[in-house]
Amino acid sequence: MPAAPTTLDRSKTVAGRRAGATTEPWWIRGLLIGVTVVFLGAFLFVPLLAVFAQALSKGVAAYFHSLIDADALASIRLTLLTAAISVPASALVGVAAAWAITKFDFVGKSLLITVIDLPFTVSPVVAGLIFVLLFGRRGWLGPWLDAQGIQIIFAVPGIVLVTLFVTFPFVARELIPLMQAQGTEEEEAARVLGASGWRMFRRVTLPNIKWALLYGVILCNARAMGEFGAVSVVSGHIRGHTNTMPLHVEILYNDYEFVGAFTVASLLAMLALVTLVAKSIIEWRAARQMAAAELTGPRDELE
Amino acid sequence: MPIPTRKRGVLPGFGLAMGFTLSYLSLIVLIPLAALVLRSASIPGGDFWRTVTDPRVLASYRLSFGASLVAALVNALFGFIVAWSLVRYSFPGRKLLDAMVDLPFAMPTAVSGIALTAIYAPNGWIGRWLAPLGIQAAYSPLGVTIALTLIGLPFVVRTLQPTLEDLDPEIEEAAASLGAGRLQTFVRVILPMIFPTLLTGFALAFARGLGEYGSVVFIAGNMPMKTEIAPLLIITKLEQYDYAGATAIAVVMLAASFLLLLSINGLQWWSGRHATAG
Amino acid sequence: MSISVQRITKTFGTFRALDDVSLHVAAGELLALLGPSGSGKTTLLRIIAGLERPDRGSGPIRFHDEDVAHRHVGDRRVGFVFQHYALFRHMSVFENVAFGLRVRPRRERPSRAEIDAKVHKLLKLVQLDFLANRYPQQLSGGQRQRVALARALAMEPKVLLLDEPFGALDAKVRRQLRGWLRRLHDEIHVTSVFVTHDQEEALELADRVVVMNDGRIEQIGTPDEVFHRPQTRFVLNFLGEVNRFHGRLENGMVHFAAMACPTPEPNGMADGPAEVFVRPHDVQIDVQRNGHPCFPARIGHVHSAGPLVRLELIADSGEMLLAEMTQERYRALGLAPESRVYVTPGDIKIFT
Repeated sequence: MPAAPTTLDRSKTVAGRRAGATTEPWWIRGLLIGVTVVFLGAFLFVPLLAVFAQALSKGVAAYFHSLIDADALASIRLTLLTAAISVPASALVGVAAAWAITKFDFVGKSLLITVIDLPFTVSPVVAGLIFVLLFGRRGWLGPWLDAQGIQIIFAVPGIVLVTLFVTFPFVARELIPLMQAQGTEEEEAARVLGASGWRMFRRVTLPNIKWALLYGVILCNARAMGEFGAVSVVSGHIRGHTNTMPLHVEILYNDYEFVGAFTVASLLAMLALVTLVAKSIIEWRAARQMAAAELTGPRDELE
Repeated sequence: MPIPTRKRGVLPGFGLAMGFTLSYLSLIVLIPLAALVLRSASIPGGDFWRTVTDPRVLASYRLSFGASLVAALVNALFGFIVAWSLVRYSFPGRKLLDAMVDLPFAMPTAVSGIALTAIYAPNGWIGRWLAPLGIQAAYSPLGVTIALTLIGLPFVVRTLQPTLEDLDPEIEEAAASLGAGRLQTFVRVILPMIFPTLLTGFALAFARGLGEYGSVVFIAGNMPMKTEIAPLLIITKLEQYDYAGATAIAVVMLAASFLLLLSINGLQWWSGRHATAG
Repeated sequence: MSISVQRITKTFGTFRALDDVSLHVAAGELLALLGPSGSGKTTLLRIIAGLERPDRGSGPIRFHDEDVAHRHVGDRRVGFVFQHYALFRHMSVFENVAFGLRVRPRRERPSRAEIDAKVHKLLKLVQLDFLANRYPQQLSGGQRQRVALARALAMEPKVLLLDEPFGALDAKVRRQLRGWLRRLHDEIHVTSVFVTHDQEEALELADRVVVMNDGRIEQIGTPDEVFHRPQTRFVLNFLGEVNRFHGRLENGMVHFAAMACPTPEPNGMADGPAEVFVRPHDVQIDVQRNGHPCFPARIGHVHSAGPLVRLELIADSGEMLLAEMTQERYRALGLAPESRVYVTPGDIKIFT
């Protein structure tokens, strides 16, 4: 019997979708596409353009002048430092949490999964508030910390702490569904073949989750560098010392230094664009990997 | 520490992974959150009530809830159209638009905030066309709603897209072969099937809007009783070292988000139950 | 109501799913479209239903005498049963069946009581009345299949089209439903076309079978005709197992595997190389020459677990072939692996 062209089944479905019986008249399609383009244009593209237009409104020289401002550079340094601490930490705990949750059964698992998502539900301002309540001058540990000469709130440690809080779920969230779907067979096989725990993780688990891990890390990084509300509560807005880039944007904006504000904002917007590009590439890679897996998998799944 | 009920065979690292996760979770998330709850419990009931029923606080709740609700509704409608077009139709630029939907996730909220303010201010790109019509976008509840719409957009679109992609074309063909017109198919077949998902996306956008701060403070104008959102009021109280007041307002916000989280989980359970086979 | 399609061509991108296909289905007939996947059978069914449009230049699609080629699927009054049933999962069984009645324009819509009565009558017909308030996901595969059928019948279709109606069911349920569908068809007698890749299903159920391959119709005929008088190599190969020999035609005789016999249809075939086909159950085995043309062989492998014994034979001239015989005959002949036998092919088919 001749082998069936497997692509046919797909072309049939796609064509069926557009076969007139189940699609809208052309003018409705046009209308909906038009609404989509206008809506996304107004809410996504126009603001993005506005950032760059405002940053360059006084010319390129003014743009670069604002860029090399000492306070701006300090804010960039602080933002990079914060991300350099919180992203690896979130990645590490995300992998650990996903490992425990997906490879073992224990009581309270679904509660743990819910608790991991908590920071997403909490308003950034509330996230900042809880650390002020703990470590602030009038917080529970404030007097004691004061006596030791340790400052957390209105200082870099506070900024790092709230960033750890808000970025906590990103990596775990990407990994848990994937690792749950992958199951434990491959790791068990590695163990049976005599691999040590670390070797098994590095050679079997890590390659299987690398794209999801990278995906989580990229989103986590965008949040770490861009967090505003929570950081704003704990930073104290001391120029050159406790200002991250988003906070520096706010200060300049409120001082009517619009070019300066939008210049720093344009850097953050570029970060956002890089994040989106990286995200798209990873999604594309992951989809290709999935397609390859499907092709080598059992034929029945294609039918 | 939880003991695994059935340690799957030979895999190592449960103790290490679980121990690290729980310690980290406790230190960074649970203990600080518990501090908030304990702190609120130490506020005398009368003070708590006076704080959260203060007219200025009530006005801020009204604005936060109202604007979030309107923004989530706008997103439910337009986010649905966006998701539908991106999934169903092919047109030039579709892939680019699809990728851009995540921009509000990736863009720092402060950047979105000042950009929207610049656009909708009376001399901004869009604001200058609205001003002659007597519409004041920036520094008004409308501005707050615009910012919250931007922030909530990806929640609705990204929640709906997989569901729309998974809709079996056979279902719509079946409706067509039974004599249903396109509108009847949409209202009687497609909409009921995706409604739980749409509701989930709506609730997610709503919850996000409630707590949003960065993108709103610039465009809101922050006039007490008029355009002051609840999260901003928390910060104001903190700046006055009124920890009790800030805590009281925050606890109410937190309770509202948890209620929403619960209903989202309930929704997902419900739609999951209805989504099996067919 | 008869169905007639003429010169239908359909391409998807560069792939030609149907190539100039014409077909007539008589009123009240139960017709099978049989072929491997990719043969175009489902595409043809979907074109008849109006779910797919044929390419420009295709001929008319007639229901009785009326050309419906430009009618929308919803206006053709076809009952279509989908391969995966496509039940509306948010509606009860009752609501699913009632759907086609409820979406009619107001002036054609039956009253609530009429709908109620009709749905229950149909559910009785498919023996599912007791499940009216269940939801599709609470039903077994076979029950879903019957709900899909009742839903299609509710709109009083002029023709009933079924896409792989038993494809998603396990073997036992499949067999039960097959007999049930045949009886149902005899009862309601609506012109029906079903698609299948299972030759047994097509031969057992249909009045006539259309064998399709590569977007073309290979043969149309009753189950007996297509099975016993295949007109092409493909039909012969597709409908059951067959042994193939390379042979030669000469003066009305065909030579293959160290034997020669008269060609079954002596006229019309020129001398030259030919392929000779014989089905395993038409292979007769004897321990001695029996006077008919035959060739010597030895027995290789024997599969005797089953109603028939299947023998792998190796002809002395090198060809391998399969033979089937009853258990009694196998024992009566006293055969065993490595036995020497004489093979008499019966009912041979020759294609040049």
